[in-house]
Amino acid sequence: MNGRRRVVVTGMGSVSAAGSGGSAAVASALARREPTIAPIKAFSPDGSSSRLAAEVDDALLMDLLDAADVRRLSRICRMAVAACRLAAADARLEGGARLGLAVGSEYGDFRSGAEFFNGFLRRGPTGLSPMIFPNTVMNSMAAVAAIAVGARAPSVTLNQATVAGDLAVARGAALIADGRADAVIAGGVDEIFVDVYRGLAALGALSPMGGGGPEGCRPYAVDHNGTVLGEGATFLVLEDLPTARARGATIHAEVLGSAWGGIPVAPHTAPAARRDAGRTVRRALVQARTEPASLGRCYGSGNGDPALDDWEIELLAADGIRTPESLAPLFGQHGGLGALRAAAGALSAEAGDGVSLVHGIARGGCRTAVVMGRAT
Amino acid sequence: MTRVVVSGLGVVSPYGVGAKTFWTGLATGECAIRPLTVIDTEGFRSRIGAEVPADVLPALGASRRRSRADRIALAAAREALAEAGLGTADRSRMALLVGAVGGGMLEGEEWYCEETRTGRPSPRIRALRSILPVSHAETLGSRLRLGGSRETVVMACASGAASIALGADLIRSGATPLALAGGVDAVTRICFMGFNALKLLDPEPCRPFDRGRRGMSIGEAAAFLVLEDAEHCRARGARVLGELLGAGMTTDAHHVTAPHPEGEGMIRAMSDALTAAGLSPGDIGYVNAHGTGTPQNDRVEALALVRIFGEGGVLVSSTKSLIGHTMAAAGSVEAAATLLALQHGLAPPTANLRDPDPEVPFDCVPGAARPVELGAALSNSFGFGGQNVSLVFGR
Repeated sequence: MNGRRRVVVTGMGSVSAAGSGGSAAVASALARREPTIAPIKAFSPDGSSSRLAAEVDDALLMDLLDAADVRRLSRICRMAVAACRLAAADARLEGGARLGLAVGSEYGDFRSGAEFFNGFLRRGPTGLSPMIFPNTVMNSMAAVAAIAVGARAPSVTLNQATVAGDLAVARGAALIADGRADAVIAGGVDEIFVDVYRGLAALGALSPMGGGGPEGCRPYAVDHNGTVLGEGATFLVLEDLPTARARGATIHAEVLGSAWGGIPVAPHTAPAARRDAGRTVRRALVQARTEPASLGRCYGSGNGDPALDDWEIELLAADGIRTPESLAPLFGQHGGLGALRAAAGALSAEAGDGVSLVHGIARGGCRTAVVMGRAT
Repeated sequence: MTRVVVSGLGVVSPYGVGAKTFWTGLATGECAIRPLTVIDTEGFRSRIGAEVPADVLPALGASRRRSRADRIALAAAREALAEAGLGTADRSRMALLVGAVGGGMLEGEEWYCEETRTGRPSPRIRALRSILPVSHAETLGSRLRLGGSRETVVMACASGAASIALGADLIRSGATPLALAGGVDAVTRICFMGFNALKLLDPEPCRPFDRGRRGMSIGEAAAFLVLEDAEHCRARGARVLGELLGAGMTTDAHHVTAPHPEGEGMIRAMSDALTAAGLSPGDIGYVNAHGTGTPQNDRVEALALVRIFGEGGVLVSSTKSLIGHTMAAAGSVEAAATLLALQHGLAPPTANLRDPDPEVPFDCVPGAARPVELGAALSNSFGFGGQNVSLVFGR
């Protein structure tokens, strides 16, 4: 990376609607390509225009945790802790003062926020729980995950729609390249919570946006009409190359380049005609010493939101990149999805599919680009 | 090694709008902690805080349809950019890092309360569009035409300081020559109620480092710094307000709400910042402490300061005693205070400090600001989740 420290992927951990496990489980889920989107089970969607979701099996999640975890952690924190532990175990990585965290999330722990607030609405000040309040701060997932894996270097939480997980992977790589850590567990997490689900549906942010066509997640398709929410946590172990080699780690891929940008457009908009003057993808490809024509795979953030899908296609076309493939139908839209795309990019590179571009664009203009290739 | 300087500064604080107003308040030691008016405090142990004055809000130059936090953030960011004198081309590649926690929660709470009480859909649901912390970065990026990388950093009370540290990293890595970095938080019910529930709010204006301290006072503010590659700044002939010499960021990995009992993570953050700055503790003339006024934070921070500086080895004060704990903004507000202290050769005071705690063996500048020759100063910010950030600034 232009004379900076080289960053490699040495482990993965994931809890999603497709199952849980380390890099082998992620590879298996990606190979099976079984859609996990189904009618939502956690609550009744009656009264909502949306009824689908990609949900994590709570029984599976509980199997990954001990009784103390279950007692003291909120549901989203359980996912974050479980996935970070899986990633650390997959990489055979110990905690320490040089291990950091980068956690992306779209919504954080709204469930705890509502529970805390409802205590007040029901009983006034005496109804407020001091045990719940800390969960309402969005870095609570990073806080408990840092304790769980012993991460004592920086633990950075990033809030971002659509591309939270891949933004965290890019930031995690930068933390290593900048010398703030030798290893970073980076990825994203979100859960489906009834108030958020209903609120997004009421705002017309979920399929079927505008009520047209059948509900479903159909990225880049002519009949795409909105996204479908998923949930879960996925994290990659990123590591300084010499450190990884010195401890004999399995190296899946190298982060050859990474960049993120901000296209100045109005909040919540995705204007297809607006270009990226910051040349986010170009910067990542230059770091990677790769040309668009040399890319083997491109994993895009397309999630079925028509305006966003169309903008992504236009932005990538301007960079000379063909139509990307989306993982949203497999896992649903959530903070871990970007990390799953990064994992797919790393596994593709490891499998010999060439260099992968992991691309993301969110309404409001946050853009990400991570280039994965085989470590040499 | 790329040097990172500060070429612009903007602050909206409980004193009002502008860095100059902010500094006047700090220098005169005016405590801006008063009864809260933005939210209903009936029935709570503590009912005070430090709000941005109501009479300045209409003059912030941002639509009233935006969240209170967005309006405060826009005004502070605009001031910083204006002072730096940046043109369109520079803004188009300028990175944006916003430390945030509450987002537009104040307005979101109003929607939630209304729907819960009535059981019917409320048109206030539009507040959900700006409820998340990321809404500030989207608003600032759009309104100020900032086209560089964009991040919303949520690291509790260390968010603003972390944004500055990470922004400087972007410049040092060569990713950008310019970054607008800082933090914002408005008063929210959930924050006020949460710290009340934890019994961490003092019913009286907070008294950091006082033997009788009983907790903190909440506040609200926004502060943004224009960070710039020193060579870039020199080439365009811009004024340098100070230099960010180094930054340390660590995690305790000990407890979600309590600091490590011996301040291990705090010590590493300060030590890392000094190492990055190429300075020894003796080079630091002033520490703007995290200094919340809670018994535990102040005791542990003092332990950590003793480990780095030795007993009485540096002047220490807490500007939270003047403007409250401004949450996600605190790290950037206090970075601004530290820069201004360096510029003016004046250590801001710790207000309400009448009976110094013997467990805090430092001159904490009680009551009135102190003239002092300063070459370098350090600002500490710590937060829930064991997040520790220390910034070292030089003139």
